[in-house]
Amino acid sequence: MKPFGYARPRSVAEATRLLGDDAVAIAGGTDQLGLMKSGIAVPERLVSLSGLTDLDGWTRERGKGLRIGALTPLTDLETSAGFARILPVVPQALALAATPQLRTMGTVGGNLLQKTRCWYYRDEAFPCWLKGGTRCFALEGDNRHHAVLGAEECVSASPSDLAPALIAYDASVELRGARGGRTIALADLYQAPHGAKRAEHTIRATEVLTAVRIPEAALARRATFLKAMDRKAWSFAVVSVSVAARVRDGKARDVRIVLGGVAPIPWRARSAETILEGRALDDATCRAAADGAFADAEPLKDNGHKVTIGRELVRRALRSLADA
Amino acid sequence: MTRVIRTRVEFEGNISEELAVIQGSDLTRWGPGHELSSVGKPVARADGAARVTGGAKYTQDLFLPGMLHARILRSPYPRARVRRVDASRALRLPGVRAVLHRFNAPRAAFRGEETIFREEVRFVGDEVAAVAAETAEIAAEALRLIEVEYEVLPFVVDLEEAIREGAPRLEEKGNVSESGTHKRGDSAKALKESKIVVDAAYRTSTQLHNSLETHGAVASWDGDRLTVWESTQHVFGVRQGLHLALRIPMTKIRVVCDFMGGGFGSKGGVGKYTIVAALFTRQLGAPVRCVLSREEENLAAGNRSATLQHLRLGWKDGRVHGAEHHSWSNSGQGRWVADPTGPTDTLYDFTNVTSKSYRVVTNTGALASFRAPGYVEGTFALESALDELAQRVAIDPLTLRTRHLVTGKDPKTGMRYSFKRLAECYEIGAREIGWDKRKDGGVRGSTPQRRRGIGMASQIWGGGGGPPAYATVHINPDGTALLRTGTQDIGTGTRTVMAQICAEELRLDVDAVRVELGDTDGPYGPISAGSLTLASVGPAVRLAAADARTQLVALAAGILEVPAKELRLERGQVISSGAKTPLREVLKQVENFTVIGKGSRFPNPQETALKTFGAHFVSVEVDLRTGEIIPLHVVAVHDVGRIVNPRTAASQVEGGVIQALGFALTEERVLDLPTGRVLTADLESYKVPTVRDVPRITVRFVDQPDRVANNLGAKGLGEPPIIPTAAALANAVANATGVRVRTAPLTPARVLEAIALASAQR
Repeated sequence: MKPFGYARPRSVAEATRLLGDDAVAIAGGTDQLGLMKSGIAVPERLVSLSGLTDLDGWTRERGKGLRIGALTPLTDLETSAGFARILPVVPQALALAATPQLRTMGTVGGNLLQKTRCWYYRDEAFPCWLKGGTRCFALEGDNRHHAVLGAEECVSASPSDLAPALIAYDASVELRGARGGRTIALADLYQAPHGAKRAEHTIRATEVLTAVRIPEAALARRATFLKAMDRKAWSFAVVSVSVAARVRDGKARDVRIVLGGVAPIPWRARSAETILEGRALDDATCRAAADGAFADAEPLKDNGHKVTIGRELVRRALRSLADA
Repeated sequence: MTRVIRTRVEFEGNISEELAVIQGSDLTRWGPGHELSSVGKPVARADGAARVTGGAKYTQDLFLPGMLHARILRSPYPRARVRRVDASRALRLPGVRAVLHRFNAPRAAFRGEETIFREEVRFVGDEVAAVAAETAEIAAEALRLIEVEYEVLPFVVDLEEAIREGAPRLEEKGNVSESGTHKRGDSAKALKESKIVVDAAYRTSTQLHNSLETHGAVASWDGDRLTVWESTQHVFGVRQGLHLALRIPMTKIRVVCDFMGGGFGSKGGVGKYTIVAALFTRQLGAPVRCVLSREEENLAAGNRSATLQHLRLGWKDGRVHGAEHHSWSNSGQGRWVADPTGPTDTLYDFTNVTSKSYRVVTNTGALASFRAPGYVEGTFALESALDELAQRVAIDPLTLRTRHLVTGKDPKTGMRYSFKRLAECYEIGAREIGWDKRKDGGVRGSTPQRRRGIGMASQIWGGGGGPPAYATVHINPDGTALLRTGTQDIGTGTRTVMAQICAEELRLDVDAVRVELGDTDGPYGPISAGSLTLASVGPAVRLAAADARTQLVALAAGILEVPAKELRLERGQVISSGAKTPLREVLKQVENFTVIGKGSRFPNPQETALKTFGAHFVSVEVDLRTGEIIPLHVVAVHDVGRIVNPRTAASQVEGGVIQALGFALTEERVLDLPTGRVLTADLESYKVPTVRDVPRITVRFVDQPDRVANNLGAKGLGEPPIIPTAAALANAVANATGVRVRTAPLTPARVLEAIALASAQR
């Protein structure tokens, strides 16, 4: 690993001044250190966010929704009984994410901003397109873990279990930069790498992700998280499915279907959502929606199973909303 | 009187001639009803507390004063000629002490080659150069500064591509060579005569050992003596390897392995990293540590070969009439084959058998022995095919196996079995899993999309051990004992069971025996592999302890002035009619270590097959829509003679089953075919089972002493428990779903593919 500098600012403002193209933020470090050890990230300086204690913890204010500080350890959300009453899908998703050790170190912000696990991206020896190279090695290589939906030049799959669950609740994120802050939809934090945009996230190099917000109205939804994995723990999603909806008189409203592990971004299955709007969540409807969610899928040579599994998990997740 | 006997010993299916140097006569085997006080008891591991508290020092924990750190530069290409190496920039990096590569390294013989840095590198990860530096970080940085000019050559990494016509030819004789064959009867004729023939291809994937402790060595010169600490299954093998590589006398080399974090067959001798450490320490005069990273471990430290196996089983007159088994193994750059056809040759009484095994060379890392090499792969194919046949002819799979049970003699060699209780394993296993409730087509699972099924498979393996193995027992002045033997405890509990055997003969408590092992300055011990440690070393330990006891009694007789035949030992006391004298009172009158017992392993009876047997029964639930397999229960039953320690034995079986579940469900080395790189060189993407993946495991033993095998009546258990699990699981999946998955691991993708194929055919 190349030697690097280290700074530990006391405020978000100070942190934004220190950040830049060669100075990257580190929170729990569970991803950043791995990237550095394998030579993928070679920052001149690490800017530790560990001194920004204001960003640790969550609050719920009636009428104002839920606000989760970006430095909140994943394990805190997973194990808090109070949080589980407000947004049970998050602990459900986190219980299947990574390992207890990683969830203890990992933070909400870090999870949302983690880089793809694509094994070509993670191996320094492959000068892949996402790292500034000329082509995507997964296309002719082994692509069992890669995207079946929405990919452009890069077929990497979005790894976060948390992001789809939060997007199903219309989450937004607060970003603070040197010249002030902005709030964007969490879904817009992600972009399918394409053209000049060789990154999976839209956050700027000088910005700090400070919090996630869930609007009050969305908290009325019920939700389910399902995840297919290669083994029962410490495994990124083959497919993850987060579905949320308000269900009244057996009819679904504000349906959200967000998929992980199948596209370069957390994938919102909008056409499938439309099928369900105002309808009863009976098996035929759920099945139609599940088929719709993958109608545009373009599986690669090694990942056709993601479509089969994904459809079934969407169907089951939707059905579970009806039963809840 | 000392005698020398030449005797044949089996090791992993191969017979070699060994010398046994023995004295006197062997002890009478403890019979089935013999009352024992330490042997057979569930004694806790002697080093358990040290291991879990960090007190146990592994090779990687060793940091000597002034120690340098070596790192190895590895080929990024699967095949290339090393044209030029320029280390000048690396040598200018502060802290770098030396760089070795093919243009400046001294000759060092390694596995038939004259150097450890080949001109033609032959797999991604092949050694190109090595750096010694003051820290491991500097050494790693220096690797990036070494400039190598490669001439890239045509390559092939995939087993089936390497077999194909037109594949790059890697060796003069071609990529495929026959490595083993067996023929009895006329299988071609028999298959023609068969009414029903199962004809199928099975595939198994490359499994990586991934011992928690990676390969590594620390080497240090002290005067003219080289000491090497190494994580190894064979300290004497490492010594031999260093002797050949460095051409220094064996008496000048000491190899030590006190605690070890797993080997599973991959740590059978000297490694290039050992030689690198030794060359650097000789050149630089400081101790040198060379320990592989997890990535290196997964590139260049061995593997279980991927196989393609073609099975044909013919059915006539209610029996398997003919069997043919052809197997191709991806040996990588290895020079041998872990032959998968052994189970087909020996497990059942088939009359007409032909088996052939081929080695296929590719530009991938060499195979290494991996816990029951060949038999895990071969049993998967044979036992899957046998169930396919049972399904076709509508016979209960267990009945089919019982019908072909071999009694008496090994069908391949004609040698008589020393002891065989496979039928009992079937009975116990069937009872524990509830075989009588098994239904054709399985039963409904926990949801309508899930099905449950049961499957089983048999196990055969060696494990009889043999000479040479030696031990000494020194009696301390306080009456406790020091047992020395050159074997090593690779995590199996050797230290504990040897103490039990020694304590038994000396009539001491187990904790009154201290065991020193893993040191070439001790009496010779064999490689800890081939399930042979207990059956090879244990009998020598018993003899050494018995020798010490005889001497102790004679000593006590002289000092107490009582005839020896009126004395016996009991829990540190010398007992005569009516009187008890503490042993330490007797020993007080003589000097330290006045009593030293010696023992050696006597030869096995010749023309006798010493084998271990077993059967696994597995129940699973399968999700038909997602392809997920959920193992519910594994019942593992083994017949390995006497069980010396039921606790460590059960632990062995559980470990074997878990490693087998990895092979069956999740573990697979994935290569990038266009570049030959390993994509799964870390524990994130190479998926060994986690604790959540482990189902309920029931362990049962027949636990009857072998009537012929050695003075303990005990055989090995290291490898048997990994052998039949994958096949039993695949059979359970077939029972549950009605479809057959013929490729291991049985991933959801493969299960779904098999289901889709079956529904398309309907």
